[in-house]
Amino acid sequence: MSSFNILYFLRPEHFPIFTIMAYFLGAFFIVLLGKNRTLRNIIAFLSTGTALTLLIALIKPIMLNHQIVAYWMGRRFPAGGYAIGIALEVDALGLFFGLLIATAVFVSCLYSFQYMRRDDNEPQYYTLFLMLAGGVMGLVLSGDLFNMFIMVEILTFAAVALTAFRNQVTGALEAAFKYLVVGCIGSTCILAGTILLYQQAHTLNLAQLATIIPGNLNTNTIVAFALLFIGFCTKAFIVPFHPLAADAHGAAPASISVLISGVLTKSGIYGIIRLTYFLFQLMNLGAMQFWLVFLGSVSMFVCVTMALAQHDFKRLLAFHSISQIGYVLAAVGLSTALGASAGLYHAMNHTLFKGLLFLAAGAVLHETGTTDLGKLGGLSKKMPHTTVLFLIGAASISGIPPFNGFASKWLIYQATYEKAVESGNIGFAFVTIIALVTSTLTLASFVKVTQSVFFGQLPKECENVKEVPFGMRFAMGILALLCIVTGLLPNAVQTYLTEPAARTLFRVTEYINGMLGAGYAENTMGMAAPEAATISYKIVGVWNPLNWLVLLMIALLSVCIVALASRYDAVRQNKGKEVAPKYSLFYGGEDTVFSQVGGGDLFWGFKHNWRHYFSFMHDLHSGIVNDYSLWAVIALALAILYALIVL
Amino acid sequence: MITMNYIASFFLIVLGLYCIVVKYNLVKTVIGLSIMDYGVNLLIITIGYNPGGTAPIFTEGELTAASTFVDPIPQALTLTSIVIGACVTAMSLALVIKLREQYGTLDTREIRRLRG
Repeated sequence: MSSFNILYFLRPEHFPIFTIMAYFLGAFFIVLLGKNRTLRNIIAFLSTGTALTLLIALIKPIMLNHQIVAYWMGRRFPAGGYAIGIALEVDALGLFFGLLIATAVFVSCLYSFQYMRRDDNEPQYYTLFLMLAGGVMGLVLSGDLFNMFIMVEILTFAAVALTAFRNQVTGALEAAFKYLVVGCIGSTCILAGTILLYQQAHTLNLAQLATIIPGNLNTNTIVAFALLFIGFCTKAFIVPFHPLAADAHGAAPASISVLISGVLTKSGIYGIIRLTYFLFQLMNLGAMQFWLVFLGSVSMFVCVTMALAQHDFKRLLAFHSISQIGYVLAAVGLSTALGASAGLYHAMNHTLFKGLLFLAAGAVLHETGTTDLGKLGGLSKKMPHTTVLFLIGAASISGIPPFNGFASKWLIYQATYEKAVESGNIGFAFVTIIALVTSTLTLASFVKVTQSVFFGQLPKECENVKEVPFGMRFAMGILALLCIVTGLLPNAVQTYLTEPAARTLFRVTEYINGMLGAGYAENTMGMAAPEAATISYKIVGVWNPLNWLVLLMIALLSVCIVALASRYDAVRQNKGKEVAPKYSLFYGGEDTVFSQVGGGDLFWGFKHNWRHYFSFMHDLHSGIVNDYSLWAVIALALAILYALIVL
Repeated sequence: MITMNYIASFFLIVLGLYCIVVKYNLVKTVIGLSIMDYGVNLLIITIGYNPGGTAPIFTEGELTAASTFVDPIPQALTLTSIVIGACVTAMSLALVIKLREQYGTLDTREIRRLRG
C-alpha cells in the first residue's frame, strides 16, 4: 500500500481485530489515565461501545450474506496450502457469541458506573473488567488454537482477580483461590491438548486442523480431544465444576457475575462446539451426542436442585445459571439443526435474563448490604422498579410466555422430542422430561426468591432502603427490554441470529475454505470432506407467544376464580375458629414470629421428602479445594477413558 | 532417550495433580500447580525436538536442505507457557498471603466457609 488510506481500515475484514483491540486498549488507557473518574468512565464506555458497534456492523455480511471474515495478522497469508501466520476468523457462530459478549459487557459497564462508585481501587476494576472482556472476545474470534489458550488464560486471570476484588466480603479470597486452582487445571489441560494436536498435525490453525484431524484419529488425538474437552468444561462450569461458579458468583461484584455467567460460561460452550463440531467433527457419532446430552441433562438437574437448597441470593442465581447452561449443552449435543438453533437461542436468552437477574441481585445488595434471603423481605415497596425488572427476569428464566425463556425452552423440548422420534431412542424423550421438570423447579425456586426478597414483611434493617440510582435501573432496563423483544419476535431472532449461527455448525467445509481459500477442504480432505446436506435443515416450531400468553392468562384467571371462591367459603366456615399457625399452609410446624415466609421455608415439605438427597449433596459440596480438584481429575480420567473406548 | 522425556513429562503432570489433590497445605497446592506446569513445558519442548537438530537460528544462505534443526514453534509456545506459569504462581501466592491473614491458617480443610 503506497499511501495511507483511512478507508482501507474501514473494511469489514479489519473489524475483528479492532474489536479485540478496543477492549485491551481501553484497559491500557485506564491504567494510564484512570485517576479521574469522568475520564475513566468515558474510556470504558467508548471501548465497550466501539466493540459492540463494530460487531453489529458485521451482522449484515456474516449473518445474512453468509460470508466468513478471515484476518491474517501482519498479512502473513497461507503459503503452499499451509497456514503460517496467526489468524482471526469470524464465522456466524463466532459472531453470534461475540455479539452476546459485547452486549453483556456493554450493559455491565453501564451498570458499573454507579454500582462500583463506593469501592476503592475503581481504576483497577475497570482494567481487569476490560481485560476479561478482551480475553473472551479474543477467544471467540480467534482462528488459532494456541491463541485460544492464551485468551483462556487471560480471562481466567482477570476473572480470578475480579472474584477476589472485594476481598473484605466473606469467602471472596477463598472462592478466588478455588477458582484459580481448578481453572488452572483446566487451562493446563487445554495447553496439553493443544500441543498433542500440534504433534500430530504440525499446525495450530483451526481450519487446517479441521482438515487433518478427523481422518487421523489415533490414541494421541483422542487423548488430546478429552483434554481439550475437559479444559473447556471447566470454563463453562459444567458439572462437576459447578461449585466454583457458585462460589465465584457469590463473592464477585454483581456486574462481574453478569460477565461470569453470561460471558465466561459462553466461552466454554463456544470452545466445546468448536472442538466437537469443527476440529474433530465427531457429532455424527451417537456416543458423542450421548456424552454431551448426558452432561447437559445432569448439569441442569443437579444444579437446579442445588439452587433450591440455597439461602444466598447470588449463590442461588449461580446454580440456576449452570442449570441453564445444561439446557444449552444438551440442545447443542443433539446434533440436529433444530437442536443447535434452540441451544444457541437459549444461550442468548441465558445471557440476557441471567444478566438481568444478577444485576437485580446486585441492586438489592447495593441498597441493603446483604444477599441473605432470610434477612430480606418486602423490598417491593421500597424498590418498585427493581422489583418489576427482577420479575421480568424471573419470568424469562422460568419460561413463562411471552418472555424469551419460553421461546427457547419450547424449542429445546421440541428438539429433544423430535430427536427421540427420529432416532427411535427413548433416552432423548427422557431428556425432554428432565428439561420440563427442571423448568418447573426453576419456577418454584424463583417463586421462593420473589416471595422472600420482594414480598412479605419488611425487616427493620431494611426500612431506610431507597431505589437504586437511575444509571443502574437503565442498565437493567436495557436487558429487560431485550428479554421481551427476543421473546416476542422469535422468528426474527431465528432468521437473523441463531439460524445462520446454527447453519455454520453443519458446514465445516465453508469454515475451512473461508480461511484457506475456496476448494481447500475438498482438495485436502477428498471424499472425507463432511457433507453439509447430511442433516436436513428445517426450522420448525413457528408459534405465536401471544397466543400462549392469552392461554396462560385464562388458565391463571380460572385458577384465581376457583381459589377465591373456595377461600371465601373457607373463611365463612372458619369464622370464629382460631386456626393455629402451625397447621397453616407452607409452615414447617413451628410458630413463626413473622407472618413472612422465610427464605428457606416455602418448599419445606418438598425439601423434607428429599432430605436424604439434599443432605447428601450438601456434604458432597464440601468446600475443600482438594475435593474439587479430585472431581476435576476424575472427570478428566473418565473423559479420556470414554473417548478411548468410543472413538 | 526421547521416550524418557515423554515419561518424565507425564510423570510431572501426574505428580502435580497428585500434590494438588492430596496435600492440604495451600503452599503445597501452589507447588503442585507449578510442577504440573513444568510437566507440560517439558512435553512441549520434547514434541519440538528433532534428533540431531540445532537451534533454529539461520542467516540467509546458511539454510540448506541438509540442515536439521528443532521445531521453533514449540519453543515459542514454551516461553509463553513459562510466563503464564510464573503469573499463576505469583497470583496464587498473593491469594495465599491474604487467606492466611483472613483465616489464620493454611489448611484447606479449614478454608471452607463457602460450601453446600
